[in-house]
Amino acid sequence: MTAPSVEPFVHPALFYRGEEEYLHGTVPFVRDGLKAGEPVAVAVPGPNLAVLKAALGEDVAHVKFLDMTEAGRNPGRIIPRVLRAFADAHRGTRVRIIGEPIWAGRSAVEYPACVQHEALINPAFQGREVTILCPYDADRLDEQVLTDAYATHPLIISGGREQPSTAYAPEYVVARYNQPLEQPAAAEELTFHADQLPNARHFAVEQAARFGLSGSRLEDVALIAAELTANSVVHGGGSGVLRVWADGRQVVCEVRDQGDLNDPLAGRRPPARDKLGGRGLLLVHSLADLVRIHTGPDGTAVRCYIGQH
Amino acid sequence: MFPLTDRPGWQAAGEISLLTRPAWEQTLAHLARSDEETCHLELSAVTFVDVAGVSALAMTAQGLPRGRRIVLEEPPTTLRRVLDMFWPDLLSVEVMGR
Repeated sequence: MTAPSVEPFVHPALFYRGEEEYLHGTVPFVRDGLKAGEPVAVAVPGPNLAVLKAALGEDVAHVKFLDMTEAGRNPGRIIPRVLRAFADAHRGTRVRIIGEPIWAGRSAVEYPACVQHEALINPAFQGREVTILCPYDADRLDEQVLTDAYATHPLIISGGREQPSTAYAPEYVVARYNQPLEQPAAAEELTFHADQLPNARHFAVEQAARFGLSGSRLEDVALIAAELTANSVVHGGGSGVLRVWADGRQVVCEVRDQGDLNDPLAGRRPPARDKLGGRGLLLVHSLADLVRIHTGPDGTAVRCYIGQH
Repeated sequence: MFPLTDRPGWQAAGEISLLTRPAWEQTLAHLARSDEETCHLELSAVTFVDVAGVSALAMTAQGLPRGRRIVLEEPPTTLRRVLDMFWPDLLSVEVMGR
């Protein structure tokens, strides 16, 4: 039995330089878990997945593997649909997960959502018998990314040595990256109230189709727009502004209202299956390729990026 | 929402979302209290169901006594996708068509 004052959730960052350090930091982590009878999952980008699978040999049969560039494309869905999905399926035992949500190809638009996700893992798993190891490619990621990892992880493993982070401050990271969203050059816009909710949804779908989305992705736009606009009516002051535009090959759908979204874990807690509410933002995070949020006393903007898959 | 005339259940038209949710939930409450083993929801004229609408359906289905079930007839594809996402193993709901 551990003393009740010891936090059971363990969340180290692993700074690696090259394949050898990657395997040195991850393979024993996986094998120690399997030896202890702990369920183990690995959610990392495809190339690292291949390297790790090759090194694990026969042990791969006992590990759940996910390509993080797909399962965690939107960082906002990693906590509910990757990490908690695995941990909740194995309650009653400690679980181990390798989660690599930040890789060198992440864009500047994605990064604030990525680092907020890393910070929010801490409150999301507080008190849980879970270990989540987060590899960081120290050769290819920006210095700022590594600096932020010190703030989002209580433990840092670098050069093979594990040390507590003296800069650990996850709430600060969530606040710092709660940044105003840059305005697009042009966007189609619609102001809505409760009785225009169906119009707002049709508007979002029509514009998304005009910008090139089709098939089930248009259904996703309808579901996303319905949740965001209903949230504005119920929680955001009764009305809002919906805007849709194209950004490269993605369609961007944004809703602004007067609400203050003061729960940073909103949409990242999977509700119990017999609980009626709490799935709106979770669905938005699950369907969109990226969700960026700026919120405060002056209002909230939720911006969803949706590409044709 | 209207009762079906040739089998136990109801028919819905339009969309199931924030503004129409009270009628949908009222129907589901009727369904839950019914004595029929199988209740049909004929949804071919429903254009859209939001997550809260699907959640209300899933709550009703989970609360049914053993042996009772709901048959969804031609629901919109969004309903099916949301059910699969959050309740992939809901045995008391059967989907037909669309």
